Amino acid sequence: MRSLMPDESLRILVLLTVTFFVGITGFITYFVVLYRNKQLKNKQEQEQLQSAFQQELLKTQIEIQEQTLTHISSEIHDNITQVLSFVKLNLGMISNVTEINKKKINESRELVSQSINDLRNLSKSLSFEHISLLGLVKTIEMEVERLNNSGLINASLSIEGEIYSLGEQCELVLFRIFQEALNNTLKYSKAKDLKISLQYHFELFNLTLEDNGIGFLVNSYLKQDGLGLRNIKNRAALIGAVAAIESSPGEGCCIKVALNPLKVRLYTDGSHPDRFS
Amino acid sequence: MAIYYSILLLIILVIGLIRYKGLNKPFKILTWSVLVVLLCSILSQIFIYRYKNNALVLHIESITGYLFYSLIYYYLFKNKKIKIAIIISMIIVLVFFVINALFLQPFYKIFPTNIYLPTQILFAVFSLLLFNEMLMYPVKINIIKQSVFWYNTAMLFYATIMFFFLGLTNYLGEHHIYDLFILYFWFFIISVFHILLGIALITDKKKYEESYA
Repeated sequence: MRSLMPDESLRILVLLTVTFFVGITGFITYFVVLYRNKQLKNKQEQEQLQSAFQQELLKTQIEIQEQTLTHISSEIHDNITQVLSFVKLNLGMISNVTEINKKKINESRELVSQSINDLRNLSKSLSFEHISLLGLVKTIEMEVERLNNSGLINASLSIEGEIYSLGEQCELVLFRIFQEALNNTLKYSKAKDLKISLQYHFELFNLTLEDNGIGFLVNSYLKQDGLGLRNIKNRAALIGAVAAIESSPGEGCCIKVALNPLKVRLYTDGSHPDRFS
Repeated sequence: MAIYYSILLLIILVIGLIRYKGLNKPFKILTWSVLVVLLCSILSQIFIYRYKNNALVLHIESITGYLFYSLIYYYLFKNKKIKIAIIISMIIVLVFFVINALFLQPFYKIFPTNIYLPTQILFAVFSLLLFNEMLMYPVKINIIKQSVFWYNTAMLFYATIMFFFLGLTNYLGEHHIYDLFILYFWFFIISVFHILLGIALITDKKKYEESYA
């Protein structure tokens, strides 16, 4: 028995040692995996919270902007145009003037009339109610007309497919994206032509604005202070759309907003966590 | 063997001292604990050479080890109740150490197993509690780059294997077999333990570790 002792003990010793090392290595590996899963889960939760916060912030910004625009729109409509109409009437009532002065007065009346019309159009384009009443297509058509009349740029509009409603809120957001893009084109692009296209397909809606301006480097612009472009992307995200901006120096700029009409309903009817309401 | 061990401790001490300014408080304490262990290791060899007994040094090493490592845990934990428990345990162990060194296992001749065994259990408990706390408040840094993880792994490894090792040594010692094996095995344990502590000293950064919570 004594002679067998060392072998027996050795076996037990090796077995115990191996078991211990396997056990402790297993425990540490299990902990590392568990910790990484926890890290991943927390990271996802934090990203979701941040995303929800960004959405809320954006919604608030848009609400404030809409309120401001509505206020400006009503001020233009109820106050400034009324005053201008009164000026026009007063000019018409002036009598006992020479032919030269009469001609000048008539010219002034025409200018005032034109201003009133321009202001009314501007008021309409700013007003949520107007967009809601006329719909996206009509409102864009009016904007195109206004642009062409201004002579700032040669704008053309093409519509493909059968027009359907995307919902008031969604159309308002799309129109604000359109306005933002238009504003950028007029301010910076030095373009002569602007092509606007609306494509209505069964599961896809596309809004495209393409100009032949000086263009820019998209990435560097977004990194610097591309607030306008970022606004376009953020607004699009708010209704579940995707905004793609393509441009390079000398090649003009193309902004495409693609949207699945079925997905829009999720965002606007309150069933989506990032809903717009 | 003792020379290799001392060299290893010296290397880890140098790492700790080089990175000392950039270390967090617990790991500054860890650097000092490595210094104490190194001094104890040298003293132990001197005592063996002169008096054929190093029990006194082992007594000192057992209590200083517990006080240092517990203090590190005190700074690593966020839970206030655990912090208080650590302080209480330090006082109790210190009192028990005095009683044990004077009456139960005299400091001049017997190895202080009465101190080693309960403190290893306490270290294992602290280690598991800290792992649990790490899971509760994960930070944004890769776990492999976290000094706390390496320190805690070292402590769990050391505490559990020491408990296991002392039992085995007791059994094998009675039969006077594998003495050399025990010696190598012991050297392996303390080497792994101190290498893990060395990694903890290398990975530690005085930067704020942002938590997800």
